[in-house]
Amino acid sequence: MVKREPYAFGQLRIEFDVQTPVVHGPAATGEERRIEAREDALREWVRDDALGRYRPLPTARTMRPGWYVRCEPGFSLDDALEVIYPLAVRHQRMLAEGTLRLVSLQRVFDRQSGRYRAAGKLSAAGREAARRVLCNRCVKVPLWDGETAGSKDIPCPEPCSLMLSLCREAALWEEAPPAPAPIDPSVAWAAFDEPGNEIRETYLRERSAPANEVGLLR
Amino acid sequence: MSRALLLAGHGSHLNADSSAPVYAHAARLRERGMFDEVRIAFWKEEPSLSRALDGCDADEITVVPVFMSAGYFTNEVIPREMGLNGRKCCIRGKTVRYTAPVGGHPSLARVVVQRALEAGATGDEALAVLGHGTERHRQSEANVYQQSEFVRALGAFPEVLTVFLDQQPGMMDVFDLTARAEVVVVPLFIADGWHAGETIPEGLGDLREDGRRLHYAGAVGTHPSVADVILELAAEAAAW
Repeated sequence: MVKREPYAFGQLRIEFDVQTPVVHGPAATGEERRIEAREDALREWVRDDALGRYRPLPTARTMRPGWYVRCEPGFSLDDALEVIYPLAVRHQRMLAEGTLRLVSLQRVFDRQSGRYRAAGKLSAAGREAARRVLCNRCVKVPLWDGETAGSKDIPCPEPCSLMLSLCREAALWEEAPPAPAPIDPSVAWAAFDEPGNEIRETYLRERSAPANEVGLLR
Repeated sequence: MSRALLLAGHGSHLNADSSAPVYAHAARLRERGMFDEVRIAFWKEEPSLSRALDGCDADEITVVPVFMSAGYFTNEVIPREMGLNGRKCCIRGKTVRYTAPVGGHPSLARVVVQRALEAGATGDEALAVLGHGTERHRQSEANVYQQSEFVRALGAFPEVLTVFLDQQPGMMDVFDLTARAEVVVVPLFIADGWHAGETIPEGLGDLREDGRRLHYAGAVGTHPSVADVILELAAEAAAW
């Protein structure tokens, strides 16, 4: 029997107990908590971060540490990874096969209606800052922005709804710049319209910083 | 020919429970084993509507919107994001059927009645179907009135009313709309989220009238029988 080698997948580490895959969350001190090998149990566990905040972007680098799930018969490694990072394995495979369609931020803007139509007004500098601030907090590689992914990376073929939401807010901030506020960890991760939101405040800081400082923040 | 069922939901960037009913219905439908794949996709969560078809291996995919009203999301957002043009189309070699939303199907009326009975109603009360409503999209209102008609046609309650959260007639006027001593309010919502779980029961909790009683049911969309409505929609679409 060939021993399977462990590997990293986003913030996860996949190990093998003989042939049984074991998915580990980010490392933590102390004993790891075992999560039941069930779709609903695993989803509930990865849904919140260590502060108990909802994680609307499953690939955000906010996964709580110190847990593992053994992939029992009936709940395969692919099943577990699909719960944790939806479509990630599929997109990795499509990229390898050359069938992964890429959709640019502009095309996503162009098809919007309703409240998200405003996102298309965001300046080029604003779009770049939004991509930097949000995508640097995600394990996916934004192929839609021209980056290239290795075979072990998780490709991102299209801007997500959170990027769209951030760009909408950022377009409004360009019209009426808000005052920066200290980061408040109790503010919801995706509440970009709320002062103290980490992503909002980082974005506003980047946009107000001189160019050389922005470079340092990359 | 392999078949996939894809449940399209709204999802939320802020409320973790918003998508729970969609996941629950998908799990129930997987257990029944009638489709080779049962998948989910959301406007505001992952997997996204725009990439949902990437996850389907099947040759034939039926997309069922888990929404209570036909309107902006079901007429515009879902088709646009998924690249659907019409109720049956071909996308990258796959046949994709797109059904009406769960909330518009006549069989949902049975679920409304079940919810009312589970809330303690006996069948002697007035049943009030409570929709969100919005002055911006009249189709949303029409959908709620139509569902009330379906409930009325079942004949399980002597009187069926229609009230709204965000337009007239408002839910706080429910006692003015009937002379019956007891009213059971059934929210035509997908999830027991902020509205159906908090603002509505809080608002109705303040509603008092001497000698009269109000029952409040759980959201229709969370009822396990909604899975049957989804299957009916999919079965009807298979004949297209």
